Amino acid sequence: MSSTGEELYKQREQRFNDIVALRRPDRVPIVPHVIHYFATKVKGISNRDAGYDHKLHYDAIKEATIRFGWDFTPTNGMFAADGYEALGTTQLRWPGGDLADDASFQFVEGEYMKADEYDEFLADPNGFTLTRIFPRIAGNLEGLGQVPFPPLYWLANTYYLMNVGGPLLAAPPVRKALESLLAMSDAVAGYFAADAANAQEMAALGYPRTWGAPIIPAFDMVSDMFRSLRGSTLDMYRHPEQLLKTIDLVQQGQIALAMMVMQVTGNPRVFIPMHRGAGGFMSDEQFETFYWPSFKGLVMAIIEAGGVPSPLFEGDYTPRLRYLAEFPAGKVAGHFDKVDRKVFKEVLGDKMCFWGNVPVSILCTGTPRQVKDDVKELVDLFGDTGALMLDSGLGVPDEARPENMLALREAADEFGVF
Amino acid sequence: MPSELTEAIVGMREDEALAIVKRELDAGTDPAAVLEDAKEAMSVLGKRFECGDAFIPELIMGGEIMKGIAAEVAPHLKAATSATTRGSVVIGTVAGDIHDIGKDIVVLMLDVNGYDVHDLGVDVPVEKFVAAIREVQPRIVGLSGLLTLAFDSMKATVDGIAAAGLRDQVKIMVGGAPADAQVQSYTGADGWGNDVGQALRLAEQWTGGGA
Repeated sequence: MSSTGEELYKQREQRFNDIVALRRPDRVPIVPHVIHYFATKVKGISNRDAGYDHKLHYDAIKEATIRFGWDFTPTNGMFAADGYEALGTTQLRWPGGDLADDASFQFVEGEYMKADEYDEFLADPNGFTLTRIFPRIAGNLEGLGQVPFPPLYWLANTYYLMNVGGPLLAAPPVRKALESLLAMSDAVAGYFAADAANAQEMAALGYPRTWGAPIIPAFDMVSDMFRSLRGSTLDMYRHPEQLLKTIDLVQQGQIALAMMVMQVTGNPRVFIPMHRGAGGFMSDEQFETFYWPSFKGLVMAIIEAGGVPSPLFEGDYTPRLRYLAEFPAGKVAGHFDKVDRKVFKEVLGDKMCFWGNVPVSILCTGTPRQVKDDVKELVDLFGDTGALMLDSGLGVPDEARPENMLALREAADEFGVF
Repeated sequence: MPSELTEAIVGMREDEALAIVKRELDAGTDPAAVLEDAKEAMSVLGKRFECGDAFIPELIMGGEIMKGIAAEVAPHLKAATSATTRGSVVIGTVAGDIHDIGKDIVVLMLDVNGYDVHDLGVDVPVEKFVAAIREVQPRIVGLSGLLTLAFDSMKATVDGIAAAGLRDQVKIMVGGAPADAQVQSYTGADGWGNDVGQALRLAEQWTGGGA
């Protein structure tokens, strides 16, 4: 690491930490939260190639970080398309899979666990995942649902491991699934090699990476990944007890995972994508029952472990701000999509820094003038404390106009130096 | 004065609502009237949603109770009732985007509020919108999207409708989480919304308050 790079890196980290801790910084930084296809798009690289050629994608992210004058380098929100292919996943559609080369990857929400399967899941979450969830999310893992797996503890001795486990692993559907898992693992290894090289290169150039890994709040985990919006919604009325028990179980895993990713990535910032807790998605009573306790628990666990919880509040979180006031002041890097910034200032101005909120629509379809006006408005509102970091409401939009992203930098320099 | 059935649905009491429906049908109540009471409940929920007194779960659960009631009532309906509608709507998620949760809620609520809704599904190409507009002759077109790539697809769809000479016949709303006035202006639509309440308000406005 060159001394200049090292110095810059420290300055930028310090500025971020100061802002989160509500200490007035020297200026307003641009901290793009997450990136998908923007960096490759501006270089004319197809979304398909961005998903398969990991080094190409990371090099493009490096270029974009420098060209657009970001203070942090955004974390790549895309995963290995060659890994999807190895699994034959049906839970995602992607360019190079069955989508056009210029399409965006998309998550296929579904009831991967049925309403009447809660008890089975709760009794044996690992076995359920292996034999029910895996076959439902990936075509090449279907074999795992076709073979009667015994409980794993049956194999807890050499005799049974060999004489029960051995023949089981020889079954062709199981073989196919295992080979597919190993191929996925190889693909992911290539992705992570490019990822680690990029993190190191960017650090040497002076750019911290925004966050290390995402941890999904327990309710969203159940809703997004197991039951779908519709399913989890109906469960609030039809199966509230089982839903709550499942949230409790998932919560333990999510906290353990948060501790693990902080250690593995060496990045204290943990991205928490917030989906179903936004205003409109449930009543206050439902929020207090099904969403808030586990989300608060996750945030507090990260703080207690010395990390910086970085929730990205998707949708309009204005009606929920009063809950966020329960967090200790200066500990949470809250990133906001569509919140009412003036209400935020009133409710949370002395508790939490303000990050994001430049409208995606302006960056994608507006003019540099509009971008600058918006940044000015933000600085006018938060400039008294300086507790402000710039970004769109949702990280770097794929379709952002390059001239608007340059205007963001110009605006930060024009209005955001204290 | 809301009926017992309407109150049970609005109160999210599914078992009670279904029991009332069975009791009414057994007692010889006009099945079409039972269905009307159920639809009235959804209309109440829609209005509460607009005021911020009800939320997406009530709409989804209400829709689910409606589905159960419709299944109970269907065998008792002598013939398809030809209710007068408040107007036709052609709706779909624009090309390149496969998200349907928001659109489906809008479809459900427009339907129970008396609109004749033609749902084209997701990832709908411009030509399919144009063909549906020619066929259905709707008063309203709804373009839904969640991804930022939907902005350009929405614009291309509005442009395509104009190029086909159909722009003056329809009012177009763009909707979805990222929609705002900027997106409306960029796409050349007539209105925008982030949620079903805004969609209902626009539809009502464009059909002359339900004429």
